[in-house]
Amino acid sequence: MLDDVIKAYNEAVLDTDRALALQIVADAVAQGISPEDIVFKVVIPGLDLMVKAISEGFDTNLAQHFMTSQIAADVSERMLVLFKTPPEIVGQVIIGTAAGDLHTLGKRIVIGCLKAQMIEVTDLGVNVSAEKFVNEAVARKAQVIGVSAMMVHTARSENGALKVRQLLKERGLEHKIKLVVGGAPFRYDPELYKMVGADAWAENGVSALKVIMDCIKGVKA
Amino acid sequence: MTTSMDRLVAAANGQIIDHIPVFCNLLDQGARELGLSIEDYFSKGEYVAEGQLRMLEKYGHDNVWSLFYVGKEAELFGCKKICYANDGPPNVEDFIIHSYDDIEKLQVPDDISTHPAFVETAKCLEILKREVGGKVPICAYLTASMSLPAILMSMEKWMELLMIGEPEVRDLLLEKCSNFFRKEIEAYRNAGADILVYADPYGSTDIIPMRVFKELSLKWMKRDLEPGGLEGVVYYVGGARLNSVAEQVINEVGINAYYPGPLDDIGESMRIVNNRALCAGVINDIRLLDWTPDEVRTEVQRIVQGGLQVSNKFFFGTVVMPYGIPDENIKAMINAAKEFGRLSLPASD
Ligand code: B12
Repeated sequence: MLDDVIKAYNEAVLDTDRALALQIVADAVAQGISPEDIVFKVVIPGLDLMVKAISEGFDTNLAQHFMTSQIAADVSERMLVLFKTPPEIVGQVIIGTAAGDLHTLGKRIVIGCLKAQMIEVTDLGVNVSAEKFVNEAVARKAQVIGVSAMMVHTARSENGALKVRQLLKERGLEHKIKLVVGGAPFRYDPELYKMVGADAWAENGVSALKVIMDCIKGVKA
Repeated sequence: MTTSMDRLVAAANGQIIDHIPVFCNLLDQGARELGLSIEDYFSKGEYVAEGQLRMLEKYGHDNVWSLFYVGKEAELFGCKKICYANDGPPNVEDFIIHSYDDIEKLQVPDDISTHPAFVETAKCLEILKREVGGKVPICAYLTASMSLPAILMSMEKWMELLMIGEPEVRDLLLEKCSNFFRKEIEAYRNAGADILVYADPYGSTDIIPMRVFKELSLKWMKRDLEPGGLEGVVYYVGGARLNSVAEQVINEVGINAYYPGPLDDIGESMRIVNNRALCAGVINDIRLLDWTPDEVRTEVQRIVQGGLQVSNKFFFGTVVMPYGIPDENIKAMINAAKEFGRLSLPASD
């Protein structure tokens, strides 16, 4: 039965049909599937499956990423309160948009995916200074700082990711905190992340999950 | 002497006079030409017109722009706060729609041509028309009703309303945006714009699913363009990919010019358009920041030859050129487009 739920849920998500996805989950819970299984055997594998499909060339659109993230975060939040014991937090991430950048959608999509995976996220909002990124990451013992930028001048700015890198270096934090970037300019230039001093980048919200997960594991190892 | 307008008309008819039209979307760069900050530069229509004319003189491309920055359209709706940078385009800082109630209250301006937020654009157009009208295509940028909400309420809130919000609220907003669009295109036409770039990222399946494209994008596109007609209209999806929807726009709307994204395959774009309309070959202008002039030349060659191999109803273009692109790369790009855009290869049908 779980297999049918997984299949139906994934189809609804890819179809950007939120009402149907939520209905499938509600029916499954009513039929006795545990909230833990919904999160760990339906939602999270669903995200993994999408990461894999994209890496194999499956073409997705922004709305699919938005809905996947939205639904996954939504379902997890509803299920978490029903858990018998609180789940283990996988990692800590600080995220915000680069200095001078006011575009929030990319960040929101990434946050939804991370939350569904039991990663704790601190959203610093828009136009975040490099100092704030680093200070907050230290205060919250975060493994990853995520910087989102929609325009070329904010992605490459000396006050953006480049400065976060500089501060991490100056404070000897580079082995403890990884810098991950994303946003439109990085998709048009896949090498750009290196130029701005980032450890990694992701092309879309769902892939961001894997990239950030890998960074968390790397720091914790 | 052949003018840029002659080149464009020739291209629309599948001919090349001396070289293909070379469109270059230089906006913020005008500030540098005039030695002004970007904020000062965009404060006056005279400056923007002067910047456009100086760049035309300097680079010798085939178009000028009346667009200051896209956020101007939000200003026509009452947005009062724009975030300026020293080295990039201005952005909307305060969204005029904060809640769904604001959609109800949203007022479409009665007359755009006399609106205070249009005064400087009108001045710019007047100068451009006087100086190069009829000789160089004057471009205007108009955001489609399906995409305009992104700068009225943010991309995030619009995506939310579109995908999980109330259809009635969504449609009310779309109707107001479409009414706005109809007035805006008329104002620009009356003020002398020849090329009307219909900007609709929400008309690309990079942004929305095909289902939404069919149900909403196409419908609103038709409504936006219906009263004013298609003369001079170019279908542009904000630099996203176009190929998956081009056939439907040609069939159902009938626009006569298409502007793919840099990540579309140009050969495929040209084959889909298949001589039924003019189509651009578009360079990934974000890479122009770091490529060497030689790399720029090779890339332009690939695009231009890829396009002309299929048909001469072709022109070269950029997306929204970042401020920091080195001068030598702009020149290398334009020179290469002219050089390779002369070769009229036999069509391979
Ligand atoms: C939709 C769109 C518009 C719309 C809405 C814009 C808006 N958001 O306000 C309209 C038509 C109004 C528009 C206008 C403009 N646009 Co525009 N637009 C686009 C388009 C098509 C999509 C941008 C977008 O919002 N995507 C949605 C977000 C969520 O996607 P994303 O940022 O890529 O995020 C995904 C990934 O990158 C990743 N990600 C994001 N953040 C992070 C963070 C981390 C840590 C990780 C791991 C991953 C990650 O996950 C996300 C989800 O999948 C792009 C081209 C393109 N295909 O990308 C151009 C683009 C972004 N626009 C561009 C520009 C320049 C503009 C203008 C400044 C033009 C001007 N001169 O006025 C204006 C700005 C308007 C404003 N804000 O005031 C340029 C920016 C590059 C540059 N030249 O600097 C682009 C890239 C087009 C181009 N190639 O030139 N635009």
